[in-house]
Amino acid sequence: MELDLENPLLSTFHDSIPSLFLIESDHMPSLPQSLKPTEFGLSIRREAMSLILHLSSNFNDPFLPYLSVNYLDRFLSAQPITQVKPWVVKLTAISCVCLALKMKETGYSVSDIQNDEGFIFDMETIERMELLILGALQWRMRSITPFSFINFFISLFKFKDPPLVQALKARATEIIFKAQNDIRLLEFRPSIIAASALLSASHELFPLQFPCFRKAISSCSYVNEENLVNCWNLMQEIAMDGYESVWEGVSSSNTPVNVLDIQFCSSSTTTISDSGKTKNTSSEAAAMAVAPVRLERDQKRTKIGCFPNDNSLLLPRIKQEKGPLEEKSVPRAIYS
Amino acid sequence: MEKYEKLEKVGEGTYGKVYKAKDKETGQLVALKKTRLEMDEEGVPPTALREVSLLQMLSQSLYIVRLLCVEHVDSKKEHGKPLLYLVFEYIDTDLKKFIDTYRKGPNPGPLPPSLVQSFLYQLCKGVAHCHSHGVLHRDLKPQNLLVDKEKGILKIADLGLGRAFTVPLKSYTHEIVTLWYRAPEVLLGSSHYSTGVDMWSVGCIFAEMARRQALFPGDSEFQQLLHIFRMMGTPTEKQWPGVSSLQDWHVYPHWEPQNLARAVPALEPDGLDLLSKMLKYDPAERISAKAALDHPFFDSLDKSQF
Repeated sequence: MELDLENPLLSTFHDSIPSLFLIESDHMPSLPQSLKPTEFGLSIRREAMSLILHLSSNFNDPFLPYLSVNYLDRFLSAQPITQVKPWVVKLTAISCVCLALKMKETGYSVSDIQNDEGFIFDMETIERMELLILGALQWRMRSITPFSFINFFISLFKFKDPPLVQALKARATEIIFKAQNDIRLLEFRPSIIAASALLSASHELFPLQFPCFRKAISSCSYVNEENLVNCWNLMQEIAMDGYESVWEGVSSSNTPVNVLDIQFCSSSTTTISDSGKTKNTSSEAAAMAVAPVRLERDQKRTKIGCFPNDNSLLLPRIKQEKGPLEEKSVPRAIYS
Repeated sequence: MEKYEKLEKVGEGTYGKVYKAKDKETGQLVALKKTRLEMDEEGVPPTALREVSLLQMLSQSLYIVRLLCVEHVDSKKEHGKPLLYLVFEYIDTDLKKFIDTYRKGPNPGPLPPSLVQSFLYQLCKGVAHCHSHGVLHRDLKPQNLLVDKEKGILKIADLGLGRAFTVPLKSYTHEIVTLWYRAPEVLLGSSHYSTGVDMWSVGCIFAEMARRQALFPGDSEFQQLLHIFRMMGTPTEKQWPGVSSLQDWHVYPHWEPQNLARAVPALEPDGLDLLSKMLKYDPAERISAKAALDHPFFDSLDKSQF
């Protein structure tokens, strides 16, 4: 009965795939698309997230904080915290971790995480908060997360080599963990996030097979093409983020956006001829390849508008993206 | 809970009272199942948490009674234990009452064979759904199968709470929990039982729809076993390897198996074949819900409607 994020329904593999796609939206934060989170909301989330990471650091299981943050996001979207009292955020964070511990059947409990300095709530208070969270989440605690879809999407790739599958899965998992930090991804379905993470991973690890993967995922009837494109663009940006330090020294110029444009367009033509798609799909593929550039620009605009404090994020990103284009010997070059 | 107006008590479920109620805003009829949450020192008990969330997920199937929402009522002031209301869709009758109308109603007569076929198919669909999600029902019986007469729909109820809320031997009204649908391995004290226990119950329910009477109406665990043995023959090690080492196995009188066709004369050969596969002694040999869906008994059924 333990909750396994890769298999929340405890089911025999393919049996449950249609139901997973059917009900995944019940397990998403209910963010109205138009409503951007406020700076206050963002700071609450940031604070609660870092508390959750701290509280779960002893358990050595990255899925624990992931599940806790999933509860947190869904709770905050249903019942935004409006008070500035610091204990409210602490209580929310600790209750989310308690619930996740119970769902994962770890055998650990509140007393194991409350030893930390600064966390002293009595059981009754935590219990009330747990019930409040359960109510807001409608007791849907077997969260369907991107991890629930990874194996399904990988099976579409028809890999023959287990180590390759392992590598792809490991990288996609890494990207999904990282992606949870980015609030912009909350609007995407877990399956779309999984598909995008796999695309990013395969783009990095197996650039030659990438067009095939791309095609396999797009032709899956459960996947909404437009959402996939949008999510994948964000995901690429997030996936690159970790390579920041590597590229930091390599470049310093802030002009390469145009170079990038050109590179993306030309590479899109290669993609098309390689995969030998029909006219119709090739225009789609071209749109997919060009879209990142257009979309990123839009995002920059929104970002500056909505997250005034996050401008700092922009510079390093431009640097990283430029990296692979300049440094030919880099193994991660996008189109080799 | 102010959202709902309680209309009447409709039953005593295995785990507590069930009320028929109306959503004051929408007028929708619902079934409210009241459960006491046994809080322990660690807040909301993990078992309740896992079971209710599992129920939330399983109830997405068309063949499982839909859990509409979960409401928690803090009753600390009165009893010290918080209450949990599970709000289900309301379905007006159950299979027991439905069969009774064909037995004792103004115009008694057999259930139409096409209805038996359709209900059994829907039951197998629901059980297959539970099993594919790793969940055993453990207490399938006609009272737990809700029937929408107008639409000809059958749905499984009272699901999955087996672990969160300990299974009582007697229900709230001190009515003894029925043994009629209990699999022989459970009656013989096997601790490692699996999906076969539900399939045995499905077989008993299938026969009951065709006969309008329970197949094995025992009134104690011992009597229940004798009912089964008299009809199906006393099980042997050859038929069911390991049976004589089960915890509650004794030396029983030796009975030869009876002809099932005589016990369930309303069933034609395909139906009898399916029934005998559901009532295999060795749980490992018993047909699975998924395989049952492909049995020739359902060949004449229009499966596209499900």
